[in-house]
Amino acid sequence: MDKAEREAIARRVLAASNADQTEVIVSASNSALTRFTHGVSNQNVDAIDVNVSVRAIVDGRTGVAATNRTSDADLEELVRRAIDMAPFAPADPLQPALPQGGSVTAPEGAFDEATSRADAFARAQICDSILTEADETGYWCAGYASTARAGVTVANSSGALASFDGTDAQANVKMIAPDSSGFAEFYSTKIGAVNGRDVGRRAAHKARESGAPQSVEPGEWTVILEPPAFGELLLYLVGHFSAQSFDEGSSFCSDGLDRSYFADSVTIHDDYAHPLAPGMPFDFEAQPKERLALVEAGIVRNIVTDSYYAKKLNRANTGHALPAPNAWGPQALNVVVAPGTKSSEELISETTRGLLISRFWYIRTVDQKKTIVTGMTRDGTFLIEHGRITGGVRNLRFNQSIVEALGAVSFSKEQHRTGQYSYSLVVPTAKLERFTFTSTTEF
Amino acid sequence: MQFEDLGRRALDTAAARGAVYADIRFESVRSERIEVRNAVVASLADSRTVGYGIRALVDGAWGFAASEDLSPAGIDATAARAVTIARASASIARRPVGEPPPVAYTGRFHTPLKRDPQRIPLGDRVALLLEAEKALHSTPSIAVGRAWLDLWNTEKYFFSSIGSAIEQRIVQTGSGIQALAVGEGDVQARTFPGDIGLYKSGGWEIVEEAQLVQNAARIGEEATALLTAPQCPSGTFDIILGGSQMSLQIHESCGHPAELDRVMGWEANFSGTSFLEIDQLGKLKYGSDIVSIVIDNTLPFGMATCGYDDEGTESGLSDIIRDGVLVGYEMSNDTAREIGRKSNACVRAQSWEFVPMIRMCNLNLLPGNVPFEHLFDDVRDGVYMESNRSWSIDDRRLNFQFGCQIAWEIKNGKPGRMLKNPTYGGMTQQFWNACDAIADERSWNAWGTPNCGKGEPMQSGRTTQATSPARFRNIAVGVGYRG
Repeated sequence: MDKAEREAIARRVLAASNADQTEVIVSASNSALTRFTHGVSNQNVDAIDVNVSVRAIVDGRTGVAATNRTSDADLEELVRRAIDMAPFAPADPLQPALPQGGSVTAPEGAFDEATSRADAFARAQICDSILTEADETGYWCAGYASTARAGVTVANSSGALASFDGTDAQANVKMIAPDSSGFAEFYSTKIGAVNGRDVGRRAAHKARESGAPQSVEPGEWTVILEPPAFGELLLYLVGHFSAQSFDEGSSFCSDGLDRSYFADSVTIHDDYAHPLAPGMPFDFEAQPKERLALVEAGIVRNIVTDSYYAKKLNRANTGHALPAPNAWGPQALNVVVAPGTKSSEELISETTRGLLISRFWYIRTVDQKKTIVTGMTRDGTFLIEHGRITGGVRNLRFNQSIVEALGAVSFSKEQHRTGQYSYSLVVPTAKLERFTFTSTTEF
Repeated sequence: MQFEDLGRRALDTAAARGAVYADIRFESVRSERIEVRNAVVASLADSRTVGYGIRALVDGAWGFAASEDLSPAGIDATAARAVTIARASASIARRPVGEPPPVAYTGRFHTPLKRDPQRIPLGDRVALLLEAEKALHSTPSIAVGRAWLDLWNTEKYFFSSIGSAIEQRIVQTGSGIQALAVGEGDVQARTFPGDIGLYKSGGWEIVEEAQLVQNAARIGEEATALLTAPQCPSGTFDIILGGSQMSLQIHESCGHPAELDRVMGWEANFSGTSFLEIDQLGKLKYGSDIVSIVIDNTLPFGMATCGYDDEGTESGLSDIIRDGVLVGYEMSNDTAREIGRKSNACVRAQSWEFVPMIRMCNLNLLPGNVPFEHLFDDVRDGVYMESNRSWSIDDRRLNFQFGCQIAWEIKNGKPGRMLKNPTYGGMTQQFWNACDAIADERSWNAWGTPNCGKGEPMQSGRTTQATSPARFRNIAVGVGYRG
């Protein structure tokens, strides 16, 4: 479904509503993914769907209804359901006026025609390149190649109307050797940029180099986190920048902004237009986004807001609403960590003794306020001695405060896109001087 | 049945395009979510979606296509797409992986309901949550109160080219409350029931069973008391885990590693693999002799209870761990065939647009013979923990660390003062072999999880782990705060 069709649906919905305020989100997607393992495709899927969601506000009371049917009768029934629900909610005195929107421009590179037309054989070609790398190394592997195109239109009775179309292409793989494994990934908006053979080769190299792993003692280590590992860790900090978390007191920065919480080397933005991960230039209330500094030289400068929290906290609306109904509060979905000045190789060569970590697994929050998280290493963990990688090590469990870890950190000058889910992260390799491991494994 | 003709059309189209087998699953899903947050209805939402997914098998390889387009032309196009995708799968396959299911089923299943939740007036549903949320604010330290309700009604119609024709209506209901207490440099949360609420298949009676209003003030007081409670100590202790935490323990350290697709490497790049390897079947001493874990997709109130899974296999009961020994897996048709067994109907899809895959279903620890209160009797120095707060386990499901919302110390057989920030950890096999008592059936309950993640694209599954509280000896406690 293209932009014109989505906008036509949005106009039909708004015309059918007599609520005080009405918002409509029309999203359409075609997502396809080919999964492979042990030389076969074990899942190969392609789904097309559309979703129309209506938020009706009547006397400060809100109802939300959604459907994937788009006939006139279905849309009229949808609007009626949303309006009929609204009176059952108590009036919210903080209910703001819906944003009036503004001019938005999709960032360059967000939509790629070839990716939008890619079929199952295009994905198969990427997968086959990776499987061929496995065949040649004698390892087995599991991974996927995916393509997606998605369009979103947000409109409301305040006059806002914004549309965005984007594409996405991804590949990742885990190569498994007899006593080790290696992981590599590549994410882009363009399928032409996805080189399956390169992804497979990088993963196989990690698996090979981390073979015959040795055990190391848990305790405090200097660690160098490659982008997939650092990105995974950072996801557990991103929610702290939500105005909702800030307001309720559960964020590490709830005690105040414009204070130094991190090392001077830490600068973090929310940037929908970063060339490595160009995204939607407005939020799910049609509020335009701008590049927003969350952390500058270690000092937390901003939290992200939507129309509700902008009013409640008397701050600017930064354009970070999620689709209604949203119990999570506004969220930063396009996080970019500023690079440093040294190469990843230099970060390693300057390390006397430490661990190079390719990827984390199953990170979970242990202590929300203190930002303590636990998790495991996996798919390529290496010992660094006197500036050189000297071999693989068995996996370890960590328990570590993220805020404390970012108190002594330096970054590589290269940035990479990582983050598979609804978040997009652009991060450098990070060298954390102190990182605490609490137990080990036998693999 | 309005979907029967469309289903036949899809199967005919797939066959004409070269599929040796095809099936189609129509779903009509209604999801309602109400959430009250600090006296404001933060969510009052009613979502409906209708669509279908088609699986096609060509040259031993699978393709899956899904669409919301219910027109005959849409059905034709989607069936053709499924066949094309199967051909693409076949083009890279080093060996065949799929075969048609061995058995066709015709049948009907409806979740038993005492009170259809749709017949409860919306105003009454909202009012219940407003009252419960208000009661959570039993102390000034409660910064955030939440109360929520989820209702799911799923109608499914499954047809296959070997003659299966299945109609199901599955109703699942859940509700819960949470209090967030904020103090000096600390935040403590308490949730009830369990750590995510009470989720079961069934109707409004599940909400009534949760007793949200009756427990809200206590939950607020407990969250507040945790702010000033002493830190749970670090060291080696005997521990007793309450029912909801046991359900999480079973889920993570038995439910996931016993998924045969994971064992066979199908999830290796994302959810990981498993230490329950096939050559260990019938041999591995997973736990102590009192540990027996079963799959029961006929369990009353189970979130995964249904008549047939999403490959069209009839639900039943099968053993996973018998008297402490690994004896079975959660299986699909293709994975079961690889080890010479038959599927035990553990295949589910999140909804119509997702491909069916092995999911943890109702996976239950059989009750023991000790009254719950007697679990404490010969614990000289221990910790009783309840309601999960944090969960992490490695990608072979061995090294785990879990945290709970609340704990009480145990001294000389008696529960004592409240402790905050309890965590414990260990290695799965050693942990389950340290289980020396399981409470009896009087404290056995079906704990449902509405949001278990697995697969790529990620799918959210609904599962139940029925269990009683249990006791474990000499466990590492306080591991999350040693750093």
